[in-house]
Amino acid sequence: MKRRRVLGILLAVLGSTAAGSLAYPLLRFFAPPARDNKAKSISIKKSDIRLGEAKEIVFNNNPVIVINRHEKGFVAFSKVCTHLGCLVEYDRGLRKLVCPCHAGTFDLDGNVLSGPPPRPLPVIPVKVEGDLVIIG
Amino acid sequence: MRYILSLLIVLTLAPAAMAGYRETFQREFLSKPWAGGPIVEKSACIECHTSDIMKPAFRTIPDEWQGSWHALNEVSCHDCHGGDPKDTSLAMSHVRGFVGKPKYDGVPGYCGKCHIGIMKTYLESGHGKTLKAAKKGPNCVTCHGSHGIQRATIDIINEQSCSRCHSYERAKVMKQALFLTEKKIGEIRSSLKALKNEGIYTAEDEKAVFSTEAEFRTLFHTIDVNLVKDRTDEFTRKLDNIEKTIQSTFSELKVRKNFSAFLTLVFAGLAVVVALLTATYKE
Amino acid sequence: MWKKIKDWIEVRLGLDELVRTQLREYRVPKNVNIFYTLGFVAVVAYMIQALTGFFLLVYYVPHSEHAFKSVQDIMTKVPYGWLFRQMHVVGGNLMVIVLILHLLAVFFMGSYKKPRELTWVSGGLMLATVFLFCLTGFLLPWSQLGYWATTIVTSMPAAFPYVGDFVANLLRGGDHVSGPTLNRFFALHIALLPPILVALMGFHLFLIRRIGISSSPFGESGEESGPWVGYRHEQYHGQPFYPHFFLKEVFMCMVYLAVMFFFITFMPTFFAPEDANIQADPLRTPAHIRPEWYFLAPYQMLKLIPNKFLGISVQVIFVAVFLLWPFIDTREKKNILKRPFLLTVILCGLTLWAALTFWGRY
Repeated sequence: MKRRRVLGILLAVLGSTAAGSLAYPLLRFFAPPARDNKAKSISIKKSDIRLGEAKEIVFNNNPVIVINRHEKGFVAFSKVCTHLGCLVEYDRGLRKLVCPCHAGTFDLDGNVLSGPPPRPLPVIPVKVEGDLVIIG
Repeated sequence: MRYILSLLIVLTLAPAAMAGYRETFQREFLSKPWAGGPIVEKSACIECHTSDIMKPAFRTIPDEWQGSWHALNEVSCHDCHGGDPKDTSLAMSHVRGFVGKPKYDGVPGYCGKCHIGIMKTYLESGHGKTLKAAKKGPNCVTCHGSHGIQRATIDIINEQSCSRCHSYERAKVMKQALFLTEKKIGEIRSSLKALKNEGIYTAEDEKAVFSTEAEFRTLFHTIDVNLVKDRTDEFTRKLDNIEKTIQSTFSELKVRKNFSAFLTLVFAGLAVVVALLTATYKE
Repeated sequence: MWKKIKDWIEVRLGLDELVRTQLREYRVPKNVNIFYTLGFVAVVAYMIQALTGFFLLVYYVPHSEHAFKSVQDIMTKVPYGWLFRQMHVVGGNLMVIVLILHLLAVFFMGSYKKPRELTWVSGGLMLATVFLFCLTGFLLPWSQLGYWATTIVTSMPAAFPYVGDFVANLLRGGDHVSGPTLNRFFALHIALLPPILVALMGFHLFLIRRIGISSSPFGESGEESGPWVGYRHEQYHGQPFYPHFFLKEVFMCMVYLAVMFFFITFMPTFFAPEDANIQADPLRTPAHIRPEWYFLAPYQMLKLIPNKFLGISVQVIFVAVFLLWPFIDTREKKNILKRPFLLTVILCGLTLWAALTFWGRY
């Protein structure tokens, strides 16, 4: 009967180890994910980008293009093409964004016009305050 | 009970035998994907080009294309040649945008419909200028081939190929300049594949690698060794960053493996203890 | 203080009495063997599936555009998401294995015979429910593997004339597997199937306790007394359920968990080949499409029989015979070793199943 006692203790120890090693992951699993450090917004002067021109900036470690569109105002997109990740270029004449790798083209709302990209370009929120353009 | 069952069997088998005559139904059903065999999308181009009326030289084109990198990425005949693959009679009509085979010096513009960036650098390079001036010299197809095009590798630069036009010396220097970066890209790709097979989300890194590789290869099409050497550092830095995240994911996988190995041991231990405990209750 | 609480509860719930009469004084036959524990292991396996399934639900997004990414995020970003996902994936497969072993054990020990026909039928229905769980769950990660396996399996009902296409379309919510399919499979997987399974499980367990567990025809002679004329609750004089038999069940559960974590550690991709990590693409059929291993045999059979309707009819008949088996095999004799013909037929059937499964892989 002494053996049974020893085994019982062993069972309790191992059992609580098992329970603990499943409970800890569970706690981590349900704990809210660490929020990304909110990227600081970037502001540039309105006068830096003339009508129909674009400016490239690095926002949150990602290449972003800010365009001052005719009639529709400022807009900012991630430059990473949704097809295979090359960086799209702004074509001022055509008023389009074109990817150099496989000729994916996007309009100035980010929508796919032609080529292989499966999704529109991600839009980065832009606000115009006074003579500043605030990105993010 | 047994009678009811046998009745049931007979009742279900009878229409089964009748269904044997419904050949239309069968044919329709056999064409469904699960019946085996891949589903091939019908293309007027391929149908005609594989048929007997086609000139033998043109008949092999679909086969060459089938094994190509383009085919693998679903770039089909009409994506380059235009035309309408869904309409046999108008498949090769210029009205439907059919362009057929480009002129020798028209090839860069042809491929450049999609490969814009590469075309731009090529046209500015020695190769491109020669083609423009002399209407001969290397165009895209000279090195890459056409219908059977494969994924480009550094091995396209080789003595046999380059010395068709000029001595291999300078090309060799270029190959050496490219070698390390290309090798690194290859290694990163295979690591990413390994991670992907473990269920890890790699799409973002894959895109970063592709973008870096594409940019690097675009640069190489200038065939300017000094430019490549100058900018190699920049590419190495980009690739190193990707490699770092890959390494940390691999070590994360190791941690996971250790953790579940630990759980295996704990439960195996529990099984042993419970088995011993059961033995004490034998009497 | 502790005693006070205990007493308070005892007065109101009578737990001690419950444990004494239902666990300690409840006895199982002397000749129970290790296969008797498989039913309990299956219950525990299902509980693990239910729990891990609930955990996954916290981060999973049931939409064809987001499902794949959300599963990859569970595997990559969510802390320990990989653990619960792997437990769910590996557990799902192991559970099917446990059920099949349970089924075989019950069959070979003749436990389905009078008066336990209903126990067998409810068990068969539970197996069918679990297969539905597997079918619906396989699609949810929206991977190439699941997408094409589902395409194959949901096409199988199309073999019925007239209603076939309708049934197949009803299953898929359209002509082919698409977004709506994912949503209805999701609804089935998490909302409809669990209560069905739990209800069947309750009925199954109720019957076992009501009639008494069946004694095995092997080992020391079975204790079951006399023919079943009226209702009778079988009383045994063998070992107490608790702790003797219960410990054996716990032992098997620990083995089950150890095997599960063994798979997760050393063969993490065993149940998730390459195509499981590529997002579903309705326009691109992978080179080798095939259903999950437990559907391979019927799939291969359907491929082999040239007349599809005959093929599917054979399978329907097979399922009907399987479900109604206790009403077909009504002989009282339990020991299958004394019935060489039945034994041969069954062993041939099993070999055929294994052969078809193996063949279906290629």
